[in-house]
Amino acid sequence: MSSDQQQAEIPPLTEGIAPGTATDPPVGSEAAATVTVDGTEVALDAGSTLLDALDRIETDDYVPALCHYGRQEIGPRSECRTCMVDTEEYGIVPACSFPARDGMTVRTAAREAAEARDVNLDLVLSDHNLRCTTCGKNGRCELQDASIENEVEEPRYGVLDDRDEYEPLDDSSPFIQIDRNKCILCNRCVESCNDVQVEGVLRIEGTGKDTRIGFQNGAETMDESTCVSCGHCVTVCPTGALVEKGIEDATTIPLPGFTQKNSIGKTYEHSTQAKAPMTPKKQDEQTETVDSESRTTDSETVDVDVWDDASGGGEWP
Amino acid sequence: MTSIIPNQKPVIRVSESGFRRSVPERGADQGVTVTAVGSTGLPAVEPLVTVTQAGETALYTQCSPADVEAIIDALEAAGGDVDDAADRAKKTPEAVVDHEPTATRLPTAGVPGLDTRARSVLGGCGWRRPTNPADYEAAAGFEPPDPEAVLELGASLRGRGWGDLCHDAPLAETWETVRGAAGSPVVVVNGHGTTADTLLLESAPFEVLDGAVALARTVEADSVIVYASAADDRAVDTVREAAANYPELPVGVDVVTGPPEYRAAEPTMALEAIEGNHRLEARLRPPGPEEVGLHGQPTLIHTPRTLAHLAVGLREGELPGTRLLTVTGDVDATATVELPADDTLADGLDAVDLNGRFKAARVGGRFGGLTSDLDVAVDPESLAAADLGTEGSVHVLAEDRCLVEFVGKTATFAAEENCGRCVPCREGTTQLAGLLRDIYDGSYAPEKIDELVRVMSTSSICEFGVQAGRPVRTALSEFEAEFEAHADGHCPAGSCLDPLEA
Repeated sequence: MSSDQQQAEIPPLTEGIAPGTATDPPVGSEAAATVTVDGTEVALDAGSTLLDALDRIETDDYVPALCHYGRQEIGPRSECRTCMVDTEEYGIVPACSFPARDGMTVRTAAREAAEARDVNLDLVLSDHNLRCTTCGKNGRCELQDASIENEVEEPRYGVLDDRDEYEPLDDSSPFIQIDRNKCILCNRCVESCNDVQVEGVLRIEGTGKDTRIGFQNGAETMDESTCVSCGHCVTVCPTGALVEKGIEDATTIPLPGFTQKNSIGKTYEHSTQAKAPMTPKKQDEQTETVDSESRTTDSETVDVDVWDDASGGGEWP
Repeated sequence: MTSIIPNQKPVIRVSESGFRRSVPERGADQGVTVTAVGSTGLPAVEPLVTVTQAGETALYTQCSPADVEAIIDALEAAGGDVDDAADRAKKTPEAVVDHEPTATRLPTAGVPGLDTRARSVLGGCGWRRPTNPADYEAAAGFEPPDPEAVLELGASLRGRGWGDLCHDAPLAETWETVRGAAGSPVVVVNGHGTTADTLLLESAPFEVLDGAVALARTVEADSVIVYASAADDRAVDTVREAAANYPELPVGVDVVTGPPEYRAAEPTMALEAIEGNHRLEARLRPPGPEEVGLHGQPTLIHTPRTLAHLAVGLREGELPGTRLLTVTGDVDATATVELPADDTLADGLDAVDLNGRFKAARVGGRFGGLTSDLDVAVDPESLAAADLGTEGSVHVLAEDRCLVEFVGKTATFAAEENCGRCVPCREGTTQLAGLLRDIYDGSYAPEKIDELVRVMSTSSICEFGVQAGRPVRTALSEFEAEFEAHADGHCPAGSCLDPLEA
């Protein structure tokens, strides 16, 4: 087989990636536009959202836009809905994912929009383990910042504070710690893992209140996942859900006997077994026909040079 | 295939829902034609056997297989005479109706429930063989329409159901957007999950396909995709067979199934399912699917109801002006009927027998509004003005039902079945269920519930979250005393607190 033919048969790296999220349309405006935000006119380039306009001026009301990231083409996920603003033309819309159309008039202080932002921020907190004193991101947490700025004193729906409901802390990876009790499901880590790093490790799984960050190979712990420990997910995480190991207690307030680790009931510890270099999911997939018992051993010895095999190359899942 | 519509020779039709039991099919060469047809939408009268010859039809309700045999024998012995056969058969017909010999719709006069003032979209159900193109052709189907006529009807036709991209809104504007958008348009028929839509796919699939094909021609779409729940086997099989039998299809028609979950009917989740995503969640919009839809192409998503109304409108030159209504809950059997738009919800209840005395109803789908007043017209404006849903359904609740328990269960359902994407829906439904549970502990906070429901509806990504709070909101406005009673520790219906205390 010539190398040209071989090239043609290799599917894109993204082929087998399944992040479990919807394919959103491009949400930026089609053309340059001028919009009025709280009485101030703002001129924007094509591809802009209303949040781009809000960012340019001092708005009447604080708009948290908590889950928004806005770099490296991550997002907008528009899940937290703490960026709702009132528009004359379309009613109440999420600023982070609404195209800035020419002539729109936006008000941040409209009562129903402000109510929606406040309630949604409290709803985020309702499912968040608010033990900031034992959290490694204390003082550098976007949720904490937004809550302080939004003057949250007592969240309407309380906070996640029931040890029976806590998800175990995943301390199994040598480099990255996961505390899902602090996850706000902003999806930034999933996008950085799949769309930027093209590793295909993380995904969103489950529905309703069981929605969580999981692994595309079905592993329960990070150690058993196909993570290559690039760390991108940690850098984009707005809260203490994904933290670099070694500094997970960096900003913990020193109260004797209280640490991030014992703030939760159960912890998945790192297995002491030596592990072969982590392999991306794509190679693991080649062993899918092998039954599950022999799968773990096979995946370490799988022929990495699969593209030399014409039949293997053609049957990419 | 020969049509049974001219009704010259004696024809016996056996109409029932679910998978066909053994209908002893016979061709016209045996003197009497015996054939299975789809459900009428009224399982309570089925199996319904109709005996037709020369402009006369006898309708026999609730027939056992033995009854069917007896009716066939009686008709043969009577030499094909409908009246004589009725005398000979041990079973008495519910009604004997005179009609045009070439009638293309089931004659329904005299059969309670079936006999509404209008039956045009459902006309073929229980009369024409669902997948037989000759029967449909005899009813003036398969006529290639003029795109201008399609657009004209689309200006006043409104989308039916939450699975329709144009729920309650006129369609033509969205169609024009698709015509003007770059790419190859796709027409998706969203037949997921609603009883009336499933009925049309099972009993009158050509109406649905004809509407979809007319629309595909109008917007110059390359393909039509019929999407249905994997749990609705008969609908899927029937529409697949009908598509295969459709004469000279001008576009490709595929039938694709999605998971049976309630949320999978949401238009953008339907697209996710058709694209093969293993996990379904709503997409952001704008831009909506009419600009960036299936695989990025401009996409129209309409329910079988919407498209059947279009097909009937094109055939008759004007829209039928009717609404389909499914009545379920505390009734003897679920019924789907067609009503003139100025009929009321109460008229729809004539099609069923209630189990117990009427207390209230949840009107308009899973997340419809609760009311005790069914004197509301079935058109979308009247329903919306009463804060009721426009899904075309009435779920009857009898006197012994506790409404706090009922809306609590709806909230729990919403908390478990939402896609998990946006905070107001994912966390809001969980908190809503919690606030309702707190009432049982004596803590009743109506303002807090109102605020939460309002934010869920103003800020959720899709209709699921927008509508999920409506049962609670409407129950609070009409039945607040029941909520207060629960906070005081007793249940007026006597159904939900006793078990807790026992």
